[in-house]
Amino acid sequence: MIGVLAAFEAPTTKDFVWACWGPSLRIGGVTICLNFITFLVLLGFLLFIGFFFFALRRPRIVPGKLQILAEMGIQFVRENVAGPMLGPETDRYMPLLATLFFAILFWNIFEVVPGINFSSNSRIAFPMVMAVVSWVTYNAVGINKHGFVGYLKFVLFPPGAPLALYPLLVPIEFITTIVIRPITLSVRLAANLLAGHFLLAVFFLGTIALLQGGWIAVFTPISFGIAIVLVGFEIFVSVLQAFIFSILTASYIGGALAEEH
Amino acid sequence: MLVNIASSVIAADAVNDKKDLYPHWNELIVGAIAFTILFVFMWKWVMPAINKLLEQRRQKIQGDLEKAEHARREAQSELADYRAQLAGARDEANRIIEEGRRTADQLRKDLQAKAEREAQATVARAQEEIRAERDRALQELKARVGAIAVDLAGRVVGASLDEKAHAKLIDEYIAQVAEGDGKGSGGG
Repeated sequence: MIGVLAAFEAPTTKDFVWACWGPSLRIGGVTICLNFITFLVLLGFLLFIGFFFFALRRPRIVPGKLQILAEMGIQFVRENVAGPMLGPETDRYMPLLATLFFAILFWNIFEVVPGINFSSNSRIAFPMVMAVVSWVTYNAVGINKHGFVGYLKFVLFPPGAPLALYPLLVPIEFITTIVIRPITLSVRLAANLLAGHFLLAVFFLGTIALLQGGWIAVFTPISFGIAIVLVGFEIFVSVLQAFIFSILTASYIGGALAEEH
Repeated sequence: MLVNIASSVIAADAVNDKKDLYPHWNELIVGAIAFTILFVFMWKWVMPAINKLLEQRRQKIQGDLEKAEHARREAQSELADYRAQLAGARDEANRIIEEGRRTADQLRKDLQAKAEREAQATVARAQEEIRAERDRALQELKARVGAIAVDLAGRVVGASLDEKAHAKLIDEYIAQVAEGDGKGSGGG
């Protein structure tokens, strides 16, 4: 038993700290370098570009397998993410929503790639970047549609509430729309992948530790089985989070576009 | 064992640091650049390619549908033509059969009538012949019976009768015999 505990290295937050590989570039107080995380970002980036490039390099009316996959992906975003939220404005926001969906998906999926098992999106910086993009977009769309004052009024004074409630409603609406949305967007994505990494690490490392634990090794199949199921679960989470992030952005844009009541 | 777990938890706490999870400028900048490029790629290349493709496919499908519709209509009109021709042919056949039947009927009736006529003619001719024969036989018989009677009467009275003087008598006698013919042929 003690042997097992000794062999078991619980995953820690140090899993999320990576040193620079090779030379780094210093601009002001900022160090830019290639490390494990930026390498994964680059990998997902290349996967994204490569996938769509090879799928649509020579588009055919009767598509090949890769082209079908790419078309299905884009159509999925169009019909299930953008369409229900944006209606006739769908096509205008498709590039952004499709980029969000596929970038998040391709960056997430490294969490379950054997040998890597780490997603750059579990570092909150990347979800933050995309949440800021989403925040800027839906606010800009709202201001563009209603004017700055009009949009503020639109956001802060939801119609139909009793006058007496407005002192309470205005700060709540402001915090919800302007402050909390980008935070929830980025934290939801990062926390899901952080937790996923911990889950997978616990069960895979636990499997290894159990194997070295003498008679207790009989429990290894349970731990390993759970780890395998969790891989499937994390694939599901990767897709789900990409879906949630993009559909929420679509919903925020749709909300900002709505007519004044 | 509990002590051991507790100590390992404490050790993990000493290792864990929330600062480890804070964003770095390095990541923010790389992420922003990467996302921007991906967005421009999606916006300027992927979406136009997909939209163009979908439009082409839409047009092709529409063209194919129209072609199919055209072909269907053509086939239908051809089918109608064939049906009409077939119906025409069937009418024609019926007409020919009917005509044949009528002709055959007519022919049969004609033949029957002709055969009947011929049969009647044959019968009439036969009757005519029979009658003529009978008349001739009667004539002959009349002559012979007269002769026999004269001869017989001569023998009976012992004297030869003058044929011419008694011709009237003989004729009357033969007429009586001929009338008796109706009751029986015993006159001869």
